Amino acid sequence: MTPFELAEPRSLQDALALLNTDDPSVRAFGGCTALMLMMKTGVFQPTCLVSLRGVEPQHAAIQSDSGVLRIGALATLTAIGGSAMVRKAAPVITHAMQTLSNVRVRNVATLGGHLAHGDPHMDLPPVMIALDAELTAVSVKGARTLAIADLFTGYYETALAKNELISEVRIPSQAGRRSAYIKCTTRTADDWPALGVAVSFATDGKVIQDARVVVSAATEKAVRLRDAEAVLNGATVSDAVLTRAGEAAAAEAEVVGDARGSAAYKREMLRVYAARAVKQALAA
Amino acid sequence: MATILGKSNSGAAMGRSIPRVEAQAKVTGKAEYVHNLRLPGMLYGKVYRSTVAHARIRGIDVSAAQAVPGVYAVYTAADIIKLIPEPYYGPAFHDQPILAVDKVHHVGEPVALVLAADPHVAEAAAQLIDADYEELPAVFDEVEAMTSKAIVHEVLKPAGTFPDLKHLKGKRDTNIALDFHLRRGDAQKAFAEADHVFEHTFRTQQVLHVPLEPFVTVADPTPNQLVIHTASQSPSFVRIEIARLLGWAENKVRVKVPYLGGGFGAKLYIKTEALTAAAALLAGRPVKIALTMEEQFYQITKHAATLRIKSGVTKEGKVTARECEVWWNGGAYADIGPRVTQKSGFTAPGPYDIDHVSIDSYALYTNLPAAGALRGFGIPQLVWAYESHTDMIAKALNIDPLAIRRKNILREGRPQATGTLMRDAGIEKVLERLAERMNWEKAFDRVVVDNGKGTLRRGRGIAIGFKASISPTTSVAIVNVSADGSCMVYCSTVDMGQGSDTAMAQFAAEALGIPVESVTVVHPDTDVTPYDMATLGSRSTYHMGHAVKLAAEDARDKLMQLAKDVGLSAETTPIPDIFRKKYGMQAGNIVGIGSYIPTYTSPDASGQTDNATPFWMIGATGAEVEVDTETGEFKITRLVNLVDVGRPVNPAIVETQISGATMMQLGFTLFERMDFDAGQCTNASLADYKIPGIRDVPLVMENEAVDMVQQSGPFGAKGVGESGTFGVSPAIASAIDDAVGVRLTSLPLTAEAVYRGLRAQAGKPLED
Amino acid sequence: MTTHRNIEFTLNGRLVSAQVGNHQNLVEVLQGEGLFGARESCGQGLCGCCTVIVNGSAVSGCLTLAPLIDGADVRTIEESADGKLDVVQQAFIETGAFQCGFCTPGFVLMTRQLLDAHPNPTDDEIRHYLAGNLCRCAAYPEIIKAVRLAAAKRKG
Repeated sequence: MTPFELAEPRSLQDALALLNTDDPSVRAFGGCTALMLMMKTGVFQPTCLVSLRGVEPQHAAIQSDSGVLRIGALATLTAIGGSAMVRKAAPVITHAMQTLSNVRVRNVATLGGHLAHGDPHMDLPPVMIALDAELTAVSVKGARTLAIADLFTGYYETALAKNELISEVRIPSQAGRRSAYIKCTTRTADDWPALGVAVSFATDGKVIQDARVVVSAATEKAVRLRDAEAVLNGATVSDAVLTRAGEAAAAEAEVVGDARGSAAYKREMLRVYAARAVKQALAA
Repeated sequence: MATILGKSNSGAAMGRSIPRVEAQAKVTGKAEYVHNLRLPGMLYGKVYRSTVAHARIRGIDVSAAQAVPGVYAVYTAADIIKLIPEPYYGPAFHDQPILAVDKVHHVGEPVALVLAADPHVAEAAAQLIDADYEELPAVFDEVEAMTSKAIVHEVLKPAGTFPDLKHLKGKRDTNIALDFHLRRGDAQKAFAEADHVFEHTFRTQQVLHVPLEPFVTVADPTPNQLVIHTASQSPSFVRIEIARLLGWAENKVRVKVPYLGGGFGAKLYIKTEALTAAAALLAGRPVKIALTMEEQFYQITKHAATLRIKSGVTKEGKVTARECEVWWNGGAYADIGPRVTQKSGFTAPGPYDIDHVSIDSYALYTNLPAAGALRGFGIPQLVWAYESHTDMIAKALNIDPLAIRRKNILREGRPQATGTLMRDAGIEKVLERLAERMNWEKAFDRVVVDNGKGTLRRGRGIAIGFKASISPTTSVAIVNVSADGSCMVYCSTVDMGQGSDTAMAQFAAEALGIPVESVTVVHPDTDVTPYDMATLGSRSTYHMGHAVKLAAEDARDKLMQLAKDVGLSAETTPIPDIFRKKYGMQAGNIVGIGSYIPTYTSPDASGQTDNATPFWMIGATGAEVEVDTETGEFKITRLVNLVDVGRPVNPAIVETQISGATMMQLGFTLFERMDFDAGQCTNASLADYKIPGIRDVPLVMENEAVDMVQQSGPFGAKGVGESGTFGVSPAIASAIDDAVGVRLTSLPLTAEAVYRGLRAQAGKPLED
Repeated sequence: MTTHRNIEFTLNGRLVSAQVGNHQNLVEVLQGEGLFGARESCGQGLCGCCTVIVNGSAVSGCLTLAPLIDGADVRTIEESADGKLDVVQQAFIETGAFQCGFCTPGFVLMTRQLLDAHPNPTDDEIRHYLAGNLCRCAAYPEIIKAVRLAAAKRKG
């Protein structure tokens, strides 16, 4: 690694001011795990890094606000995983955390960095999309709200402007809804997923409503599968419906092959896993 | 209580599960590794590596790197040659240049070296080097390499170390580094007469050792000597080879090895030592080269192989003839590949009693990172093929897998393919004990009741393999009894985690009859510890064990004589009193020496010998799996590993060696694979090359060393480090086949491969 | 441009200061202090050989920028200077939970964290908590036994 300047602003506003530059090698970090990997391989050689660790502590707070779960972007994944409030509002997040990276990374990595990295293999993007979460993005120009479903624009690409930071994630009330996230690793148990599937839906008796089915890892970005959702919406769960939903998911997703599996295989896995995710959510 | 010779008050040392002698140092982070070493004035070296697989070097521009503030020097082959005119090394062939000369042979080959006091400066400067290449046609596949027009090395340069390679000297325009042939009986005639003939081809992938301590060497040019501190499994070889390169006497090179953070066969012969030594001499300063995890992927790997096996079988399932052709992908440098080719060739037909055998085994050069020895010396690849083949025959003839093995197993006293008679080889015992532990002859339920999903199927498989030791090789040891009765063992065996320090202390204590706690083991230092061929191929327990035992017995005899000379009985007098009587005070030493080389007969032109090995290693595995028929995913629900290690020196350490070997082979069976694109490894990191973690350990894993004694071994012991690897891959593949009828013939065994097999079976092949 | 700085931090209970480059990592800082128990191996935070306890929580030293340690409480495997072993270290020795020892400090430190968080861990909790530590010698079965034994020893 090569030498660089390190700024440690004490406020988010100061951090945003530092990022308001045309120099593409000035970047902010929370946990600095993903950035560190890029710097170690020489892919990224910064002139200046902006540490967000010293900004106001409220940006790491986890709060419940009239049914809406508000998580500061600087909350560590460990804090989120261990939060009773999160477990109560969205146990699917707590569950996903157990196999997300490892303890040491979770201890420092932040929710904001996890989302802003745009890595399709991350676990929380599909979960957050399934939960219909939104975020606040801030820059010197002000704040804007963005659905996390609209955050990911491509492989390691997001809708965030270069000088923008995520400040908060909000998860609406999940009352009456069921969710699940399952992933498939094709090599070791701790491998990056070859496929992730998150589902969330409301139930009226045995009828599924307002379903959200999200695929990740097998695709360039985490994305909702509207055809699969359409099969589920208004349907009473049966093996036939789940089969059709799985088939719709497999037909719709733009699956890409890599060392973890061919596109053809991952598509078949999506077919099976989409159905299993719905089953798991119903059993939860 | 003072120690009396032969009267250890802590019981016999042999067969006791004492903790490792270095246990405290390891759990406190204080164990010594080369990794820890920094010397005053030390420079760090960073290697600039080839980005192309096969090319002539038109030029190397190091000017930008040299201009970086803090860079001490940048070296290329042109600089090395000033110091070492013939800068090529290797155990079998002198084919590997210290830095690339004129040509590069694989992606990742060292081309230039940057030295700086700050490793970050060296690293940044190395990225500024630019080489201009004229690319040449490259060859990557081992079978294609047999006939390829792309020739990796224009001329073969055998090292002359091995008599059986000398005929290859000066051979041109071939990628065949060595061909080994064995003929016994008349296989062709037997095929013609057989009821059935089966032929299958198997593949194994290129993988690597991945010790968590990557290669690291510090070279220190002192006024009188070049001192090399290195994470090496073969300090004696390093000394001899560096001395040869420099044209110096052996005693001008001193090689010191502390603990190793894993070796597994990677850290053998010359790895980072020659480059570090040359750089230190050119710079006149101590130099440290510590590879990153990524760089390990370019240093040494395990052979990918293609294996074709053909068997003639009677309708009752007796194998009458076997033909094996094996192509070993050796990569760009022979390393120890030719030995792998020959020694594994000895046992290619498997632990079966077959009258007619034909073996052809080829070590091939390709434009990939070099392949060498990795925990099993080629045997796991062979067992994968011959045990899969055995089960495929059994299935075709509707014979039980255990029954076909019982019918053909190589029994004690019978000649093996080389003609050598089997002695102290617990093949039958291991097989029978495995069958017992697997409850093989009881009913096995293949359908799993799994909450009504109905997608799981169970299956089981067994596999057994064996290996000859590397022979003939020498070990020398010194045992030094001090005047207070404490004792030191001087030997060049390297403790890389296998527990050799503990084992050698136990051997010395057992031979002297003193408490094992009073023995320490001096780490390899070629100025102090005597010659040892290397720590490899599970040879140390047997060979160095013998040498230490002989040295201890020599010391014991001398001590008894000393007691006699001063009018005492060593059997009743505490050792310190003997010294005090002789020297009038606590003074003096008794030094015992032991040297061991087993007998061996080189194979003749047909591969026949009456003495192929000093001992046999046997390993078998039984696997039970659950396969998900919807996805091809499977889980190993039980893995049972049986080995013959003779008499276990330290049963607890033996068990960790069995399970450790098994887990490593489990990685090679299920996950690990180097991926290449035009010779470029595309997954050179632990993020992308996945090794087993704690969640990958099968839910039930059982390990057992059967009750055996190696009559020729020191206190009945023999090697243990590799045997746990043998049966793993084929046992799992057979269990999958047993569960769902899908037979895989290529490693690794992926869920996708199983799924594709299921789809093909259903007549709906998965289309890409 | 200031690319280097002086930092002060508590190292195993003693206040120390060091001049570090912003681009250096915590493992390098510890090496400068003569501590080699935290080792950079995979360089990607996956193997756990470089585990260090910073302000009470485990981090990968190889992914931790040196300047961020300023003011922190840093604890390493060398914490017990008198050579006294804690129950986790004793349990690792008694169960033979290591071979080459290169990954062992990381496993010992992570086991302490695990037992702080889960005094009675299930096998599943052990496997998940230690999933970020790799042992190429694969002493995993013995490590699981060591964690169980250490948990029992802690209860005394």
